[in-house]
Amino acid sequence: MSIKKTSLYGGATAAALALTLTACGGGSNAGGAAGGAHDKNATINIGSLYEPQNLDNTAGGGQGVTEALNGNVYEGLFKLTDNGKVENLLAQDYKVSGDGLTYTFTLRDGVKFHSGKKLTSQDVKYSLEKVIAKDSQSARKSNLEVIKSVETPDPRTVEVQLSKKSISFVYNLSYVWIINSDAKGLKTDEDGTGPYTLDKWTRGSALSLARFAGYWGDAAANKQVVFHYYKDATALNNALLTNAVDVVTSEQSPDALDQFKSNQNYKVNDGNSTTKLLLAFNDKAKPFTDVKVRQAVSAAIDDKKLLESVWGGYGKPIGSMVPPTDPWYEDLTEVNAYDTARAKKLLAEAGYENGFSFTLDTPNYDPHPTAATFIKSQLAKVGITVEINTITPDEWYTKVYKNHDFTATLQEHVNDRDLVWYGNPDFYWGYDNKQVTQWVEEAEQASSTSEQTELLKKVNRKTAEDAASDWLYLYPQIVVANSKLSGYPVNGLNSQFFAYDIKKG
Amino acid sequence: MKRSTKRSYTLTVGCVLAGLIAVLALVSLFWLPYAADDTSGGRLTGPGAGHLLGTDKLGRDLFTQLMTGSRIAFEAGLGSVLIAAALGGTLGVLAAFAQGWIDDTLSAFLDILIAFPTLLLAMLIVAARSATLGSAVLAIGLAQSAVVARLVRILVKRVLAQDYITAARTSGTSWPRIVAGHVLPNIWPTLVVNLALQFGLAVLAEAGLSYLGLGAPPPNASWGRMLQEAQATFTTAPAGALAPGILLVLLVIGVNLIADGLRDTLDPAARRRRA
Amino acid sequence: MGRYLLRRLAFLLVSLALASVVLFALLRMLPGDPANALTSVGAGPEQIAAARHSIGSDKPLPEQFVHWIGQLASGDLGTSFVSSLPVGPEIASRLNVTVPLTLAAFVLAVLIAVPVGFVAAHRRRTWYGALLNGVSQLGIAVPVFWLGMILIAVFALNAGWLPAGGFPQDGWSQPAEAIRSLALPVITIALVMSASLIRYVRSASLDVLGSDYLRTARAMGSSFGQAMWRHGLRNASVPVISILGIELASTLLGAVVVESVYALPGLGSLLATGIAQHDYPVIQGVLFVSTLAVLIIGFAADFAQRIIDPRLRGRLSGGAR
Repeated sequence: MSIKKTSLYGGATAAALALTLTACGGGSNAGGAAGGAHDKNATINIGSLYEPQNLDNTAGGGQGVTEALNGNVYEGLFKLTDNGKVENLLAQDYKVSGDGLTYTFTLRDGVKFHSGKKLTSQDVKYSLEKVIAKDSQSARKSNLEVIKSVETPDPRTVEVQLSKKSISFVYNLSYVWIINSDAKGLKTDEDGTGPYTLDKWTRGSALSLARFAGYWGDAAANKQVVFHYYKDATALNNALLTNAVDVVTSEQSPDALDQFKSNQNYKVNDGNSTTKLLLAFNDKAKPFTDVKVRQAVSAAIDDKKLLESVWGGYGKPIGSMVPPTDPWYEDLTEVNAYDTARAKKLLAEAGYENGFSFTLDTPNYDPHPTAATFIKSQLAKVGITVEINTITPDEWYTKVYKNHDFTATLQEHVNDRDLVWYGNPDFYWGYDNKQVTQWVEEAEQASSTSEQTELLKKVNRKTAEDAASDWLYLYPQIVVANSKLSGYPVNGLNSQFFAYDIKKG
Repeated sequence: MKRSTKRSYTLTVGCVLAGLIAVLALVSLFWLPYAADDTSGGRLTGPGAGHLLGTDKLGRDLFTQLMTGSRIAFEAGLGSVLIAAALGGTLGVLAAFAQGWIDDTLSAFLDILIAFPTLLLAMLIVAARSATLGSAVLAIGLAQSAVVARLVRILVKRVLAQDYITAARTSGTSWPRIVAGHVLPNIWPTLVVNLALQFGLAVLAEAGLSYLGLGAPPPNASWGRMLQEAQATFTTAPAGALAPGILLVLLVIGVNLIADGLRDTLDPAARRRRA
Repeated sequence: MGRYLLRRLAFLLVSLALASVVLFALLRMLPGDPANALTSVGAGPEQIAAARHSIGSDKPLPEQFVHWIGQLASGDLGTSFVSSLPVGPEIASRLNVTVPLTLAAFVLAVLIAVPVGFVAAHRRRTWYGALLNGVSQLGIAVPVFWLGMILIAVFALNAGWLPAGGFPQDGWSQPAEAIRSLALPVITIALVMSASLIRYVRSASLDVLGSDYLRTARAMGSSFGQAMWRHGLRNASVPVISILGIELASTLLGAVVVESVYALPGLGSLLATGIAQHDYPVIQGVLFVSTLAVLIIGFAADFAQRIIDPRLRGRLSGGAR
């Protein structure tokens, strides 16, 4: 999601688009030098900007609840590791039928919930059904609605029938928390199987986790983890500088990085990011219905310079929706690259030789206002006038996302493999290309990952050539930690932050 | 003799300070060193040739932003004071002329409104209208209306209690005539002094709201917003975090000194009290 | 006095009731949907309806209002839409930060302002009287968040004496940590608050110093100190107390800026989050509690003035008439 820097409104709505489809990804290593002996009873203080709204990820807990609880307190049948691999977790094993419609999972033996109850297939059935229930607010609900039925032939076996093939099914299961089917009050309490139990949540300030003695796997490398929540990046950096926290999960501006880089007490980790900043056109609203206008705007903006102003030397230019860690990545930065002469020519061809003006709906927190200011000055050079309309995340969600009442907007899209949204003509940006929709559907039904990859590569190239949106840049993923710390995740993939391997000392 | 020199000294210093910033604001209407959205300077260059005070994160000229910021400060101050004077003045006069429970209710309402900080009002107004300079000014103006109304009510009551007013009322002089002929001439010195003080408070309040993201939205260069943005680089690039604050302090001190000077000149009663 | 107390109490209750109705209506007029905070991007109409149903915002407004008033009458401030935590304990935990912060800052400000203001008045013709006056001019003009930024840079980041922000998770069960966390915020508020208080104390002292009764008392043989103690203090404190009441009330609610600078989990930050999320029970709860506090403080200030100055008795409001 986003930082809450300039605004009191950042925390509200899940404004950034945390939406995903499939599995796997590139590789990277855990941060920090793994040095000699560490303190087994250490408390790890983690600084974050993303406080959970509540503790239930099927009831609007938001990005913060994933960061704090996913993998730490709750576990799924599978887990998505920090370098993007899907591994078995509570599922010891699974089989897929020849037609790809029946999945049979065997559960790990000896797993206990924090309440002491033993994990059975009933709990898995309950948890799966909770995600696709009518009142579920899970971001994965639509992905998992392919589940037709869940059977529990014995306490360690779960059999799931799908209504159609879904190559991303196992990946999506890594987001489904396995919860004790008897547990109550999950918005403020928990009952998971993870290496930590919830110690205390002091809303507005901190959430602490304590090592769970009855954990089925290797015990956590530290005794206690405290997530400290801040509302702005400066307060967060100050906390790190004064040792109030040991690690910051995700730096949202380069402002303080020089201070940390030049100081040997800190380590700045530049991991792999999947967050893209988009200038999203409403492809169903004039003048952006015209491919040439979209291409012209894309060509008129110097993305490299924007990246330099917003992020200093960090981050990467990107030519499409696909980050380098997705398997269907291709370097498309040369498609609609910065070229004002071409932009002017395209505008003339589209009948706008004298330019035009449009309103840019801009979320009120960084980096959007900064980027909007920059875009305004760049587009002025080709005769396009930009009206910046600053809105709160809540307004963005209602006006842009729900009502499609906009001409163009800025938004960050955080997840990996979210190219597939261009296959949905009802999505907020209104990109409607029958061929692309068909490719995306076929990719999900594919029998092999290579087939899936081939199809999505086509989607990638087509959307880039069509300038479906203007992909401004790929964010850096920066974790800054005290150099005494090791074993922390550096990629923070899809907002997860596994704390159990973090060692201090 | 000694006092009158001191008085003019207060006024002079106040006028110089506030005037300096007023000049910046006025000039910014016609000329700026760089275009407001010119991002061609390097990132956080620091003071030097080409850029008097250096640039911000985006490469915008800091001095240019300070100039537009002073314009916004004046807009905020004047706008809020106008609202406060119009609304507060009317309410105050009404409360003073009304008797009994209307007066009681109005005063009680004003007391509650005064105790509620501008900030709360601003948060609610921004939630309803979105964050713009107009929302911030409206919130500040409304909050100040309560203060002004209470003052006006007391002042007007004091005038109305005078014998010559009673005489005028019994002889059938109309209300508007009494207000225009007797009340206003008697209360305006105190009112003007108070409004000058409110101007300074409004400038401070706008900066506070912009700091919290409740004021003029980016890319407008409000001083409060500039300070917020520069906070992260306070230690590495201090110019951005100091310059807007210093201008803000100078403007507010200037306006307050003008108010003090005016009080001594216009309000003989206060002069006696302060002697 | 009994009659006065009764009238004052009745006034308090009526104000509170009126404020509740206005508040409830105003909040519902704000654009935006509280269900937005709960739905994730990608939510369909079914999920939005489910979110609305789960928080009861799909019911007619009068029904919601009656429900809220019913809860309030039984001492329950309701449950947050977003976190599902009860609002009452939530507010109580925030008050654990805001009340000590405000009171400590207030006391410190008074301790600074009263002597300084008096000296600035009494010795106004000396260089240090003028200096004190000048410093208070400066103090009034400094924005509280800027002072906070500077204090953090100097005392937390450079010197490392005090934390730059935050509050211990266990609150006051870690008293040393809690006090250290509040030290800089308290100083920040106190400095700004005392600057304006000094001006009031100074002008009240000037009035007293120039008064006939003080001259009379001294002519009758009292020392300056005795005369000030017996007559001056009492007379000067009446207008000052009325200002103090207002200052205290607005600091209680206005601490949100300082809470933001120092990342403190206080009442102000709860309100800010509540407004951003359209979490009506939270907003209503905070505003209800703070209105109550404002009214009680106003009452206390009024009452104190009456005790000090018997001439004020028999009036309903503390304001001049």
